[in-house]
Amino acid sequence: MRVPLDWLAEWIDLPPRDLLVRKLTSAGLEIEEVLESGPDFAGLLVGRVLSCEKHPNADKLSLCAVDAGGEALSIICGAPNVAVGQWVAVAPQGSVLPGGQRIKRAKIRGVESNGMICSAAELGIGEDHDGILVLEDGPALAPGAPLRAALGGSVLDLEITPNRGDWLSMLGIAREVCANFGGALREPDCEVKESGKPGGGPEIAIADAQNCHCYAARVVRDVAVGPSPDWLAGRLTAAGIRPQSNVVDVTNFVMLEFGQPLHAFDLDCLRGGVQVRRAAQGESLQTLDGQQRELCSSDLVIADAEGALAIAGVMGGARSEVRAETRHVLLESAHFSAASVRRTAKRLGMQSDASYRFERGVDPGGQLRALNRAAKLLAELAGGRVCPGVAEARGQAAPEAGEIRLGPGRVNHLLGTALSPGEIRELLERVDVKCRADGEGLLHCTPPPWRNDLHIWEDLAEEVARIHGYDEIPETLPPCEAAGITLPPRRETRERLRSGLAAAGLSEVMTPPWSAESEAGSLRLSAEDPRRRLPRLRNPIHAERPFLRGQLVGSLLRVARLNWNRQAGPLRCFEISRVHRAASPGEGGLPAEPLEAVALIANGGAEDNLWDSAAPPFFQLKGVAERLLAELHLPARFRACAEGETPPFLHPGAAGEFTVRGQRVAALGELHPETAAHFEIERGLALLTLDVDALDTAQPAPPRYRAVPRHPRVQRDLALLLDCETPAGEVARAIREAGGDSLADVAIFDRYQGRGVPAGKLGLGFRLLFQRADRTLHESEVAAATGRVLRRLQEQFGAELRGGETP
Amino acid sequence: MAPAPAPQLSAILREAEAALASASSVQALAELRARFLGKQGSLTRVLRGLRELTATERAAAGQAANRVRDRIEALARERRSALQAEGQSRALSQQRLDVTLPGAAAPRGHLHPVSQVERDMCSFFQTLGYSIEDGPEVETDWNNFGALNFPEDHPARDLQDTFFLEDGHLLRTHTSPVQIRAMCGREPPFRFIVTGRVFRHDLDPTHYPMFHQIEGFCVGPDVSFGDLKGTLHAFARHLFGAEAKLRFRAHYFPFTEPSAEMDVSWEDGWLEWGGCGMIHPNVLRNCGLDPEAQQGFAFGMALDRAAMIRFGIPNIQLLFEGDLRVVEQF
Repeated sequence: MRVPLDWLAEWIDLPPRDLLVRKLTSAGLEIEEVLESGPDFAGLLVGRVLSCEKHPNADKLSLCAVDAGGEALSIICGAPNVAVGQWVAVAPQGSVLPGGQRIKRAKIRGVESNGMICSAAELGIGEDHDGILVLEDGPALAPGAPLRAALGGSVLDLEITPNRGDWLSMLGIAREVCANFGGALREPDCEVKESGKPGGGPEIAIADAQNCHCYAARVVRDVAVGPSPDWLAGRLTAAGIRPQSNVVDVTNFVMLEFGQPLHAFDLDCLRGGVQVRRAAQGESLQTLDGQQRELCSSDLVIADAEGALAIAGVMGGARSEVRAETRHVLLESAHFSAASVRRTAKRLGMQSDASYRFERGVDPGGQLRALNRAAKLLAELAGGRVCPGVAEARGQAAPEAGEIRLGPGRVNHLLGTALSPGEIRELLERVDVKCRADGEGLLHCTPPPWRNDLHIWEDLAEEVARIHGYDEIPETLPPCEAAGITLPPRRETRERLRSGLAAAGLSEVMTPPWSAESEAGSLRLSAEDPRRRLPRLRNPIHAERPFLRGQLVGSLLRVARLNWNRQAGPLRCFEISRVHRAASPGEGGLPAEPLEAVALIANGGAEDNLWDSAAPPFFQLKGVAERLLAELHLPARFRACAEGETPPFLHPGAAGEFTVRGQRVAALGELHPETAAHFEIERGLALLTLDVDALDTAQPAPPRYRAVPRHPRVQRDLALLLDCETPAGEVARAIREAGGDSLADVAIFDRYQGRGVPAGKLGLGFRLLFQRADRTLHESEVAAATGRVLRRLQEQFGAELRGGETP
Repeated sequence: MAPAPAPQLSAILREAEAALASASSVQALAELRARFLGKQGSLTRVLRGLRELTATERAAAGQAANRVRDRIEALARERRSALQAEGQSRALSQQRLDVTLPGAAAPRGHLHPVSQVERDMCSFFQTLGYSIEDGPEVETDWNNFGALNFPEDHPARDLQDTFFLEDGHLLRTHTSPVQIRAMCGREPPFRFIVTGRVFRHDLDPTHYPMFHQIEGFCVGPDVSFGDLKGTLHAFARHLFGAEAKLRFRAHYFPFTEPSAEMDVSWEDGWLEWGGCGMIHPNVLRNCGLDPEAQQGFAFGMALDRAAMIRFGIPNIQLLFEGDLRVVEQF
């Protein structure tokens, strides 16, 4: 809400602006911005008309001398109302009007003009084109003063929290200023002069007493609809409301004054009595914005004999709109239920200044005051005759906060303060809460009717803290309990994976969870795959990606693509996130949220050749996985994926899995060519998917101390010739099995095909380390073990020793 | 009569001094040593000739010869170590490693800035005795709104633009549903910290539909608003430095009463930092706690914003786009 400070100053004496802003901010009136009022008046000046003569060559133009500070300006003016002695708004040459027009030196009918005297319309603060704006005499007026000083000034742009409907008015803000700084409120004159015969307005009836608490109306006859005076148009503009006509402007003005939405009907358009009722199913109404609105039976409407006239508390209808030719007006001031207005406004997707206020709460006791104030202004500004009497109907009383009992001790206990009961009472009385102390030290508090947010003593405690100042509350720390610290499931595993992957040189990304229907296909997920059962959003942010993702692979492949599009080289990255699986139909409940980790290592292009010595991505990533699992102390085994068990997005010829006690905890592989094509991945890339939940629940085998071997070790290298299909891992396992308990370690030191190795064969070099913790090995034992190994390899794989020796 | 040894000895010594001084290598030095002190060396020959002298002459000459021998030995040792030092420094000056070549790359991985901030914040609160709690991202209307005292048909619900699922659930708009889950069935006193992703239907340069929150709450018979202020001030000093100041402004949240927003001093102004307050008695009641016996505070703030401030990241979208050139800076 916009609060022009000069307007507010009419209600209450204001402290210096900085202090005001600081204090209101701390009291909960968030000041988004201090605007300089409405249009940009930079360069425009206050001037005084020194002389005014007829233009020598034009009857309708005047030649004026204007004092705008410095040398008098000669300005030609076409307005009929210009006169000597007026204070006017001057746009000197070179300045720019709020509408964007630049003022240039000009010759008009042979006479030079050095600027312009502006109308309200040219200044963007009114509709009046016909005459210049004459400034009201006041202390800010001096020749050459900035126009800003004379016209308004600062405007506070306030963000009002939804619990404080009472702040949506000058009155409300003035009350808050008063609570913080003291002073006396000056409320505007609401004394209305009735005259003539009774108005002959319609009978009012409330059919939905639950949602319409009060409906009051007055008839104002013989209004002359026209533009508002500049002061009124200026006020509305500064407050952010576009001036329309004097009748409509008055209703808006009074709404801004008191926070009470008002509506004016063209009385001649009404047929029969006015009823506040629920809309009939299928009823429709054209609203003031020209739209046809289909109503439903939960909407509250104002209707006459012919049907709905207005949507209660939201917007008026076109049929009874006040037009230029309107002569008699029915003014409405009513109180509707907040929930009902909100339901309708939300359903119809329309928010108006009225609905905004009703939703947040309007003072249930303020209808007559605002009605009278508006009628009075209509009489003054539109020449209307206020007919005697108010037509009024009442429904159920608006819900009201009853008396709240407040223990000053409880307030101090909650806030951590040591305020005396007297201080607490005084603070509450500053926000118009009536307090009565009883004999037991309790305060019986009655909030004012406009405070629909005060229901319980804690609400009053907030008022105490707010007015006392949050900054005044002493800082303490809560008493520490010696309870242990707990972590949620998966947390520690997640953090260890995060650390482990980063330590292995991969960088973490976080991507949004939105997913497209086509992704499951790109990843070749089968129809039954649970990763296809995705929760769908009703209101996605990207229409083409309405699902929550069921896996992270697609996201990470898109990350790779994006980075390559931006000329990245090799990539090493990972993401750890929850993914979603819709609950099975019939099962109901929330979707499952498994925690997944996916890591990716990819080659750069040929131009990134610094990397040529590194192992292929698959083996780099396999090393990362082995290290991660070791760090988690999980006894993991690796094997090539069995036929049909390769994750569908991985290459069946280049994929494997890690298991812990038979359960798969991770899968690793190169991309399936179809998936690669879908994601436009053209470089070598390996993926590792980790099932964090499985890793979290797998039983670790934490390390225990083993004696450090003190006896010498013996090394034997075996250069073997094998069929080229033989899996090295199988050979290594066979060596371990055959080597016996003296074989401490086996490593592959060479893998060779080419010169010296027959076609269809493969050279593999194994390094065997023999060592015992309990004694020194005898040469013959090592020879015997090596012999066992070689015999086993020959039997199982047909292995030969390279260099002709046969085992 | 044999020639007197003295002049001979001093001639040998002079010769040896000159020769040793000009010896240019350890090998040449060895040869010289042999020439004077070896079996056929000139000094050895003189010593052999002593046999022909009288006992007294022999004693005097022998002493003189031994002195010459010791002197030559000493000169040879000196020269040897000089030559060795020379050789070593020559070698050192020749064996040069180009230390300006780059280090062999060990790839460095980076935690996401949000993860880094999350860890930092969680470890701070763990030292204050807070446990960590967790909850689902897809939530019920009750846990996200109802239990947190958001009235039905109230504009408070508009404060958070919500993503709805087709099955009627929603993406949590804040981490506060975890408050509900954690408090239900637990006996105070307790204190928890929650971090996680939250979602709001909002996309512009300063808003992203996904972001992260940290939320803390502490419940017990005597936990006060003053305790909240003290805790948050300690937290602010941890994050923003010992000089950090906090400012509390009255605000409205349905789930706290009194409620406040806090600003932290930053550069020359104030930075909006988060929301907080005393847990609303309706929320305590909805979790089966007795507000007459227990009270507590809760606070929450965006992790992303803290990460952006810490690292000077100007735009929230940079955090979630997946451009590794962003993550790899931190």
